[in-house]
Amino acid sequence: MSDAFITAFGEYLPGEPVDNDHIEDFIGIIGDQISKYKKMVLRQNKIVSRHYACNKDGQFEFTVAQIAAKAIEDAIDNSQADISDLEFLATSCSIHDSIIPGLASLVHGQLGADRIDISSHQSVCGSSIMAMRSAVNAIRLEEFKLACVSGSEIASRHFRPTFYEGTQHFKQENALPLEQEFLRYTLSDGAGAAIIESRPNVNAISLKVKWIKARSFANRFSTCMIGGAIKEEGRVISWGNQESLQAAIEKGCFALSQDLKLVYEMIPVWVGHYLSLVEDGLIDPEKIDHVVSHYSSESLKAEVVKLLTKAGVMIDEEKWFSNLTYKGNTGSASIFILLNELFYSGKLKVGDSVLCHVPESGQAYNSFMLLEVV
Amino acid sequence: MSSESVMRNLLIVWTDFESRLNTVPIMKKLNNGRFSIEDYKELLVNHRQQVVEGSRWIARAASSITSDYLEQRSTFLKHSVTEHRDYEMLENQFCAIGGTLEEIRNAPKNIGTEIFHSYMYEQSSQQNPFHLLGSMFIIEGLGQRKAKRWGLAIKDQLDLDDKAVEFYIYHGDNDPEHMEEFEHSLNSGILEIESMGEKIVKTAKITALLYELQLREIGNY
Repeated sequence: MSDAFITAFGEYLPGEPVDNDHIEDFIGIIGDQISKYKKMVLRQNKIVSRHYACNKDGQFEFTVAQIAAKAIEDAIDNSQADISDLEFLATSCSIHDSIIPGLASLVHGQLGADRIDISSHQSVCGSSIMAMRSAVNAIRLEEFKLACVSGSEIASRHFRPTFYEGTQHFKQENALPLEQEFLRYTLSDGAGAAIIESRPNVNAISLKVKWIKARSFANRFSTCMIGGAIKEEGRVISWGNQESLQAAIEKGCFALSQDLKLVYEMIPVWVGHYLSLVEDGLIDPEKIDHVVSHYSSESLKAEVVKLLTKAGVMIDEEKWFSNLTYKGNTGSASIFILLNELFYSGKLKVGDSVLCHVPESGQAYNSFMLLEVV
Repeated sequence: MSSESVMRNLLIVWTDFESRLNTVPIMKKLNNGRFSIEDYKELLVNHRQQVVEGSRWIARAASSITSDYLEQRSTFLKHSVTEHRDYEMLENQFCAIGGTLEEIRNAPKNIGTEIFHSYMYEQSSQQNPFHLLGSMFIIEGLGQRKAKRWGLAIKDQLDLDDKAVEFYIYHGDNDPEHMEEFEHSLNSGILEIESMGEKIVKTAKITALLYELQLREIGNY
């Protein structure tokens, strides 16, 4: 078996940064006025700036596949390779451009790479780690020498008023519930990518993938984040099972929503997963130099910190790296956008350990990845 | 085992247990908004048979503590006194939703509760049974982290008043103090007893499994 090294990162954040006062210029206002939940949600997630793939007229200039391709091209430019060296592409996303075909096909269609293998991974934030595992394992098995992983999202196109105005809830209340507004003011657009190789960079740092440990707890929690379906008495009912597309729209199948109470109930299993890795000797909190955690809001981070401190396994907060507050929460793209900034920041020294954490509230998935700077 | 390592392992056991409870049929109903008044009656009848024994096994454990550990004996005794009439709240709740005292008092233990108590009494009878702190961690954890949530969900789904869910709300509001007592007990020198840390963690695992079993076996007498 070969080792797998992350040798380069890339990102693509569409448009100019958008501050909190101008969010509605891009995602619009639903009902007569700006949501009463806006301030509360922004206070919780502490996001001050993000990017949107649409212009102020609400027209979209990009597809999810296009921004993924741009991030991959950026990663290739940052690497010591050429696009023609690419042998395998693993993509990740929450919602991409089509139901059929898969995103990896659409992204490959945008790239100047010939004769490559592909793999499409769809979930929520955790799809990034699922795709990463696919590429890392393929490199380890020596199937390929150079692979690329991408995460890309255009969440904002689902947040436009027209996507909600046909729902029964909106017709009755002339406003959206917190479960929907929370996502409108938390998620934004962007793409990130990483190059995985069977050998490290020459004359530059690389990240050796020590291990990836992920677990699904979907048998223990009901669906928490939902799109394309609705939840009735704990059961998920697909848009495709509605009597017509019109009925699916009215019932709110296409209005993304997140059960915020359920997210907090999941935190203990995420913490328990971390503690088991500590007990198994895979993580030594004292030897971790950088923590890159994709928590969806600062208030969730506070909850995790409280539990970790109690168990005596908290890693000093000064070792935590994040850019979510100024680059936005971009779902599957976030972990790549986080690592991209850290990798080229000059903060990483040979021998450092980087612990990545990507939890996913969709239906309780949690993942860790340990990297070593070489 | 250090006290931090014991706490870490207990948290692993707890987080696994807490989420596993979501797979128990009666909890699924509650989580999915399909809980009926019949479900609640059955929960109270079954739960009462467990709670009524709780202070008895704590008292028995206290009587098994030798004079080398008087401070811990006092803690166990006090704990037993605090809880020994709690089950009356469950009886009152049962009456508040149309049941009778006779019915709830005469109900048998379900098969899970039988095993749960056999284990607790047997362990309480051992000399210096401080490993039962593992059991207390699980049971107090339920009070602190789950009881209030259950109480409020039941109240909401069945449109009841506070009186009908008092036990659950009361434990949610009062058990944080018990957790502080727990940490104090853990650091009182008992971990110097050989393998006590490991025994506490193992006892927590068994207690969690048996607690889950009695909830799974509701109605199976």
